[in-house]
Amino acid sequence: MDDQCVVEMRGITKIFNGVKANDNVDFFLKKRSIHGLLGENGAGKTTLMNILYGLYQQEEGEIFINGKKEDISSPLKAISIGIGMVHQHFMLARPLTVTENVMLGKKSRRGILLDTNQTSNELKALSDKYQMDIDPNSKIWQLSVGEQQRVEILTAIYMGAEILILDEPTAVLTPQETESFFETLRQMRQDGKSIILITHKLEEIISIVDEVTVLRDGKMVGRRTMDASVTKDDLCRMMVGRNVLFDFPPAETEPGEIKFSIRNISVKNDKGVQALQNFSLDIRRGEIVGLAGVDGNGQKELCEILTGLRPAESGTLQLDGKDVTNRTPNYYIKQHISHIPEDRQTIGLALNWNLKNNLIIKQLGKGPFTRKGFIEEKLVDQNWEKARDAYQIKAIDGNELARSLSGGNQQKLILARELSLDPHVLVANQPTRGLDVRASEYVRGQILKARNSGTAVLLVSADLEEILQLSDRIAVIYDGQLMGILPRGADPMDIGALMMGKKQEVHD
Amino acid sequence: MNEKTRKTAINAFGTICMILIALILGGILVYLTGNSPFEAYGAMLRGAFSSPQRISELFVKLIPILLMAFGVSIAYKAQLWNIGAEGQFIMSSIAATAVALYINIPIPVRFILSFIASLAAGALYAGLAGYLRNRFGANEVITTMMLNSIASYFLMYLVNGPMQDPTTDLSQSPLVPESMFFARLIGNYRLHIGIFILLAVTIMMCFFWKSSVGYRINLIGQGEMVATYAGINVKQTVMTTMMISGAFAGLAGWIETFGIQHRILDGIAADYGNISTIIALLGSLNVYGIIASACFFSVLLCGGASMQRMTEVPYSVVNVIQGLIIILVIARNMFADRLPQVSHKEKKG
Repeated sequence: MDDQCVVEMRGITKIFNGVKANDNVDFFLKKRSIHGLLGENGAGKTTLMNILYGLYQQEEGEIFINGKKEDISSPLKAISIGIGMVHQHFMLARPLTVTENVMLGKKSRRGILLDTNQTSNELKALSDKYQMDIDPNSKIWQLSVGEQQRVEILTAIYMGAEILILDEPTAVLTPQETESFFETLRQMRQDGKSIILITHKLEEIISIVDEVTVLRDGKMVGRRTMDASVTKDDLCRMMVGRNVLFDFPPAETEPGEIKFSIRNISVKNDKGVQALQNFSLDIRRGEIVGLAGVDGNGQKELCEILTGLRPAESGTLQLDGKDVTNRTPNYYIKQHISHIPEDRQTIGLALNWNLKNNLIIKQLGKGPFTRKGFIEEKLVDQNWEKARDAYQIKAIDGNELARSLSGGNQQKLILARELSLDPHVLVANQPTRGLDVRASEYVRGQILKARNSGTAVLLVSADLEEILQLSDRIAVIYDGQLMGILPRGADPMDIGALMMGKKQEVHD
Repeated sequence: MNEKTRKTAINAFGTICMILIALILGGILVYLTGNSPFEAYGAMLRGAFSSPQRISELFVKLIPILLMAFGVSIAYKAQLWNIGAEGQFIMSSIAATAVALYINIPIPVRFILSFIASLAAGALYAGLAGYLRNRFGANEVITTMMLNSIASYFLMYLVNGPMQDPTTDLSQSPLVPESMFFARLIGNYRLHIGIFILLAVTIMMCFFWKSSVGYRINLIGQGEMVATYAGINVKQTVMTTMMISGAFAGLAGWIETFGIQHRILDGIAADYGNISTIIALLGSLNVYGIIASACFFSVLLCGGASMQRMTEVPYSVVNVIQGLIIILVIARNMFADRLPQVSHKEKKG
């Protein structure tokens, strides 16, 4: 690693609606290094990088690339000076092939004819060089999420990126995939590329990064060269401003009798592909069963079946030993089965409704808020105030629209509603996805609290750390099948292997 | 100022701006035809307000358009684009007249029966579109529009065929029994007791969205997914919503039949369906916004007719203003969709 800075950002300030998303931030990226940009959601990491990539213009501050002052007015400009960015949400055209996606962003070298074959061969060579294992001729929709991400990176490098910005790249990967992904990054560093890794995962910073810059509330709060002396706790304190609880105590009570029993459920997904095959799982009272698995392996369909949003094609559900297969959503609500859906914006909340009304959407019929067919606003207001205080929802008042809340507060709103319905069963699908450390900690604490009060919890998560922290038992799903059930404290590598479909002898 | 009042203020401001822009553009058009816009609008205002009789006409117009605008606004809140108020109105007036003419029972009973038949006709006709949507996924915009055509041709057939008044060649039915006419309020002016029904419905509408049914209808407009998740039977609610919406048009048809026309005739709906749609959207589906918009349209329609009589300016100016308002409403909705999204996106990161 030489000490020459390829990127210098000095005194960057960016203001959105009067709020400083970046406040006088300095950022330096050394050549041939992997630089971690650490911070909670909303700390301004992505904003800073979007400025570097030309998506936003800073109000104040200067950017130097390779020592030369640059005015990065657009992503096109950024690409032309060798900056590439891979966003959290992939920007790929799904029906097209890898090659075609790459060609979308550049001029053909054959005039009016397309240079498909040439591009394809070059991509293949590049993919081999970094062991990315991408077939340039496969269509995007055929690729796994991990592969799509590699396509994005490949595209950026192909476009000539020397400086690569990766926004939360590992959020969608299994431990094994993450490991080989890091290998690729190391090799790129070897080749002289400089990489910025936006993340809020401390393990990643520790395991791969050379230097780290920490942002909090839009300000730069620290910069460290990584060596053995830097601990997870140090980083966390910098990021959050206080210590965070990483280990939750296990349940004080033994799990009770079987509450909810899933028996041989099979179903196809919306595309007609088998999403669940003969899936069985029992959830006991006062127990958290963690369902680990890479996204899109049937978790969503399972949660939908458990809450009446999708009928099972075969198999049964039993609640307290009673058959409850394929009832209406309202039936499950009445049976005290609460659901924190994966997609909080289109399923979990009515975004254009205000906060207090979002708390009562499951009780619009006969319920505690209805008097003679009318919703009693006074009761709704009281309910809101109670929930706001109990769940620390940060909002101006209950008349604010759900749309205007941050992701963390939206999730708290959903939690407040679902947990206030006295859940006997809680189906929580990705409950902390996209939340910052503080909000995640809070949500996890609430789930534990529900478990301790006797709720049977199914926790679906692609985040292994979360599964390991909370689960009393860990079930692994792959391709719609139950791969195995592991006890609390299982080895993450074992879980990872199951998540990738490698069935092996596991000790239950 | 909290979110709610702020939103209301923005909406009201937007509505007033749209009306002003439409009137100014309409004025420019009048000017281009070589007339004075001030004279034209002056004539319009005089035509609407200059005598008690004209003011009575304003209310006569207001009754059907406001009722129907309330009706469609209920469906629109649920994102059900019922533009079939016209057809529902026609079917209802046919039902009302048929009961009044052909069912030989005592007048008071017949009156009540005609009321029920009218509301049922409106509700079922709208419910048909709801059924087609639930059963086949048929877009209600298309189905209600086609049902409008079916209704108006059916009416045309009836008043030129089986229900035609045998004493004339006109496309109209015989008069209903005079004892079934609505009582007029003031002397010989056409304003009738239907205005009290309008008043009652308006008061009801002020509370409708606070009812449990209102909340549920509103929630399915927020997205079928979240409504289903909240335990609402979406299909059933779609059906209910369409039928309530149609019943409003049905009520308007019943009132128009016994209050004004006393028979059915070709063109009885007088474009009320389209106008009520514009009113509902111009008023941002808000009850008070709709009331204000309906009053504006009542002036525009009544005043426009006398403007044509008193000046060189043709009535088409009124249609132009209507058209401009539609365009402006669409433009506003596009802006409203876009603005918060931009600020929302930028806040993140």
